[in-house]
Amino acid sequence: MSLVTKSAKPIGHKRSLSDEMFITMLVASVAVGIFLLASVLVPNFFQWQNLINLVTNNWAVISLGIGVTFLLVSGNFDLSVGGIVALSGVLSVWFVQSTGGVNALSTGLGMPYWLGVICALGGALAIGGLNALFVVRFRIPSIIVTLGTMMVARGIAQVITQGSQRNTNLPDEFGFLGNLTMFGTSIRFPVVLMAFMLIVAVIIERKMVFGRITYWIGANPIAATLSGIDKAKHVTYLYLFSSGIAGVVGILLSSEFKSGYSNRGMLMEFDALVIALLGGVAIAGGFGSVVGMFFGAIILAVVTSATTGLTLSPDWQFILKAVAVFLAIMTQTWALARRNR
Amino acid sequence: MTNQQQSPVLSVEGLVKDYPGVRAVDDVSFSIERSTVHCLIGENGAGKSTLIKMLTGALQPTHGTMKVNGSVYQPNNTHEARGHGIATLFQELHVVDELSVLENLTLGMEVSRFGFFIKSDLEDRVIQTLKAIEPSIDPSARVSSLSVAQKQIIEIARAASSGANVIIMDEPTAALSEREVDRLFGVIRRLQETGVTVIYISHKLDEILNLGDTVTVMRDGKHIITKPLSEVSGRAELIELMIGRSAFQTHTPRTKISDEILLKAENLTNDLLKDVSFHIHKGEIVGFYGLVGAGKTEIARALFGADQVAGSISFKGQKVGRSPKHAIEAGIALVPEERRTQGLFTNLTIRENIPVMNLRNLSDYGIFRSADEVAAAIEYVDKLSIATDSIEKHTEKLSGGNQQKVVLAKCLFSDADLLLLDEPTRGVDVGAKTEIYDIIKDLADEGNSVAIFSSELEEVLGICDRIFLLYSGSLEEEFINSPDVDVSHILNVVTGGHEGAVL
Repeated sequence: MSLVTKSAKPIGHKRSLSDEMFITMLVASVAVGIFLLASVLVPNFFQWQNLINLVTNNWAVISLGIGVTFLLVSGNFDLSVGGIVALSGVLSVWFVQSTGGVNALSTGLGMPYWLGVICALGGALAIGGLNALFVVRFRIPSIIVTLGTMMVARGIAQVITQGSQRNTNLPDEFGFLGNLTMFGTSIRFPVVLMAFMLIVAVIIERKMVFGRITYWIGANPIAATLSGIDKAKHVTYLYLFSSGIAGVVGILLSSEFKSGYSNRGMLMEFDALVIALLGGVAIAGGFGSVVGMFFGAIILAVVTSATTGLTLSPDWQFILKAVAVFLAIMTQTWALARRNR
Repeated sequence: MTNQQQSPVLSVEGLVKDYPGVRAVDDVSFSIERSTVHCLIGENGAGKSTLIKMLTGALQPTHGTMKVNGSVYQPNNTHEARGHGIATLFQELHVVDELSVLENLTLGMEVSRFGFFIKSDLEDRVIQTLKAIEPSIDPSARVSSLSVAQKQIIEIARAASSGANVIIMDEPTAALSEREVDRLFGVIRRLQETGVTVIYISHKLDEILNLGDTVTVMRDGKHIITKPLSEVSGRAELIELMIGRSAFQTHTPRTKISDEILLKAENLTNDLLKDVSFHIHKGEIVGFYGLVGAGKTEIARALFGADQVAGSISFKGQKVGRSPKHAIEAGIALVPEERRTQGLFTNLTIRENIPVMNLRNLSDYGIFRSADEVAAAIEYVDKLSIATDSIEKHTEKLSGGNQQKVVLAKCLFSDADLLLLDEPTRGVDVGAKTEIYDIIKDLADEGNSVAIFSSELEEVLGICDRIFLLYSGSLEEEFINSPDVDVSHILNVVTGGHEGAVL
């Protein structure tokens, strides 16, 4: 009986490319194309060092993009990462500043550096925990929750720095991590850490159960629950990871500049969102990849630096970014629709 | 005008509606005469609601024409249908509790100029309509103080006073008590006297015999008959028309049922369920049969822990029902009612859908064994004859029957001892249905237990060993399936024919 519809050909399991790979390749080729275009238009753009700079100058946003991408794939937003960058940076400075400075802004808690960093990271995770609490337990839309915690985090930073910055009374080792160069090159520790996190993220996304669960939740949260997935736990982890990454970024940035500044990381949450969307991550969840996000960041970086190279006024940057975002997302939608016709 | 008087108020000709893989409405033609109560009956999945959605503009037919008063009618949305005088009374009410009866009746019909209300005779007209159909409701009362039935009458009055001459009522008595039903019938008859035509959809056959002028029966998407109810001999005839006897699968009694009790549910109670108790043996296929709203899905979800209910559920001697995760770990899997919204990850591939309920089987220390995943997907595609050229196909591109098989594969992969199947063959074509039934029987023969929650009698009688009949949240009757069960008795029970009498 079973012979009726069975063809001689066995069921294939290799499709040339999955939709995700297709979009990632598309984004990567757009990134390369736009780089070549900029190289033609902008003098001295086509240089090895410039290419490296495109990545190294954007280590912070790309790092944040990892957490944001995972959350978007699970169907949730995280707009709080920029605020957390400011908060954890300011906290790390405040905790480590020695006691008894000349004024309030130069007086801290006098913790050893390692303890200050751990506590600052704790502050970042607390914001992530707050995100998870409201999104998971009280079922408030994540865009609202993280918009709120974005302001809470930056607000706390603002109070601690009294709207200014803290940069005095810091031990010398405070500036170590953010400025450490590695492998005898000019590549700094934060960039190496970003690369490491990217690799780990790709492994989690492609090879691990954790990554797969993220896609299931984003693709259909009801079906995921009815298939025995603990959605609450998983989304909580995702928010904690994202805020943890943002905390590390904040700590490294304040180490780099040896200051805690409440406006640091301003608009970074939107840049992280934009590179994820540019990289083909679906805002509705269930689709996207960290590699795509990385190339999205490259597109944005090329556009930004090419504007400067074209001696256009920096005032034009936002408009060019906007054009790039619209074009990229329209191309993706069109290409995917065409492919799946 | 004379033309209007002669042609039927509403007629459909050769109406067809196709969904991917299924023809929901198949070449339906009939017409509805003015000022009649026209009843529409049929089993679940017979195509009634698809037909109604086309009449109200919510869906567009694939082929065929609809005519209102003899002229072609092609509504693109419910608003346009309203413009042609066709209004629908849905099961859920659309009244504003905070406003008065009068304000509710004039809602959306206010006459305004430059954004300000101006006086008109609208209020008088509306009050007259209301008085004509139900004099006991005070127009100045707040709607929140009214009963469900009265609110429903407000909706009817609103439809009538907005100039609707056809009102479609979809199961209007689902939430009403017997006295309220009588009152609603009074309203419908008075409406009829004012020249309004009512299309009445209900599973409760007594209501249809009591109220209707004409009846249209549908089965499997096809129009079976339209005839005056005065020519219908009674319930039995309607039942026979609805189920079309010949289609029954004959049940062959199975021998592999053990005496061991696998699951025992006691006194399950929630908003809908009333003290439901039963048990399921190892290797048994049980069926829960009842109409929509009888409590089938509620029981399935309670056993699976998706909803919390009062009462106790023990599975292999242990308590279950805390959460789906817990249920799956204990060995219970659910194929939910709505495959697209509850069962399937439509934008993922077949391969990516199958392992979700049994991750431990495919991973070591959190790392997926991709090769095993591919092997599992190929195995299940083969085992369930899922029609696809590749396991990398997105499940949204499969037909309904194949999608259902993927959901089934997902549950089979969980190695559950008890499978709960909620409407396992809804929207599935006949060929795939038979295949799914064979899979179910094989599973039971291997010693698993299966519970089928279905509103298709044919399905339940075709494969179940033991059948529970449900009516409005209570378990009315239980019987062992055999070739000589009394179908009309079953239909009598599930349509409320002997309410309260428990065997």
